[in-house]
Amino acid sequence: MAEHGRRDHLRPVPASPENPEPDAGSLLKAVARGDEKAFGRLYDLVTPRVYGLIRRVLRDPAQAEEVAQEVLVEVWRTAARFDPERGSPTAWVFTIAHRRAVDRVRSEQAAADRTVRAGAASVDTPYDEVADEVAVRLERQQVRSCLDDLTELQRQAVTLAYYQGHTYPQVSRLLDVPLATVKTRMRDGLIRLRDCLVPA
Amino acid sequence: MSVEIHALVGPYALDALDDVERAAFERHLRECEPCRLEADDLRETAARLADGAWSVPPPGLRDNVLAAIGNTRQVSAPATRSARPVRRMWVAAAAAVVVAAGAAGAGAWTIQDQRVRTAQATAAQEARVRTILTAPDVVLREETLDSGGRVTVASSRLQDAGVIMLSADGAPAAGRVYQTWTIRAGTPSSAGALGEGQSAAVQVIDGLPEANQVGVTVEAAPGATTPSAPLDALVELT
Repeated sequence: MAEHGRRDHLRPVPASPENPEPDAGSLLKAVARGDEKAFGRLYDLVTPRVYGLIRRVLRDPAQAEEVAQEVLVEVWRTAARFDPERGSPTAWVFTIAHRRAVDRVRSEQAAADRTVRAGAASVDTPYDEVADEVAVRLERQQVRSCLDDLTELQRQAVTLAYYQGHTYPQVSRLLDVPLATVKTRMRDGLIRLRDCLVPA
Repeated sequence: MSVEIHALVGPYALDALDDVERAAFERHLRECEPCRLEADDLRETAARLADGAWSVPPPGLRDNVLAAIGNTRQVSAPATRSARPVRRMWVAAAAAVVVAAGAAGAGAWTIQDQRVRTAQATAAQEARVRTILTAPDVVLREETLDSGGRVTVASSRLQDAGVIMLSADGAPAAGRVYQTWTIRAGTPSSAGALGEGQSAAVQVIDGLPEANQVGVTVEAAPGATTPSAPLDALVELT
């Protein structure tokens, strides 16, 4: 047929190779129906970031592993509750992870546990090594360069809260700036981050 | 006031609010659709920060998680598609409807929105709620109130306790109050009544895993000794 060329032209554009997770949404849908195989694939997709994020907040690898397990089981358990109108599937997962990590880091009991376990864990995993590992990963991440785009105060406000689990009054004390300023910098920092991360 | 509370949207998206302010802010979001959209948007951005924290997971984690899900029952999708699209996406967030304790008399609990806002929750009660909500075996169940709103029940056998979190869209008519009940083998007993004009509360219930159901009714103030039909919500625990 003479028209095959035109038909080629109408082929859908293949998924962009820059998008590493084209099907997190369909995986999560399958998980919601009880598909354990899909859960395994979703696990592989999100766990390095789930675990890395929790470990970054908690610092203690043993406790991070425990919380990561809770979070991933929670993802399995509540997959049907994911509402695509409110955000992306990966953001849903990382929000659960971050929230759990922050809850844990702020609980006094856990603080005691952490001291004990961090002491034990530091034998084979010195904190500096963790920090180095994180720094190396960060180099390659878009998020890092976007963080560098923020003002110093925006960046510190955002990262002290997100990566270390501080409340905004704690951030205010750490940075010695007024509460109102911290609130504003967190908000406009996130807005700037958002505008940087959105692909052009 | 609304402007003032909305200034918390940045800290909210970063999980940088304490439980009390988070509860107040989430109430604000339920009343303000554009605010909720902004909050969702900034949360989406904040979650991208997880990209910067990539780390190799421990080798045993995968097997442990896959074994654990084999024993974990999934919740079904929320049955009713409410006209109000506000739905808690994450269970941890359900955990945060917080936490003020009624110091008002034995077994009684009265909690006011304002009190949550003014942060009169005690640290001890907050810690107790948190312990239950983060128990490894915690089970959360949620029902909508016929009168509008939600009741969420968290129950942990390990803690032998549970938490009832009531979040109504508004207070009942004048002279009427919300009251909650635990029902064991068909016999209801009052878990407490809210005060007039109150629409949100959190209560720790010792021994909750022994109950079969949790009920919510609207009663004449200051509360009834037996629940009057119809129930505003019934949460099945077993």
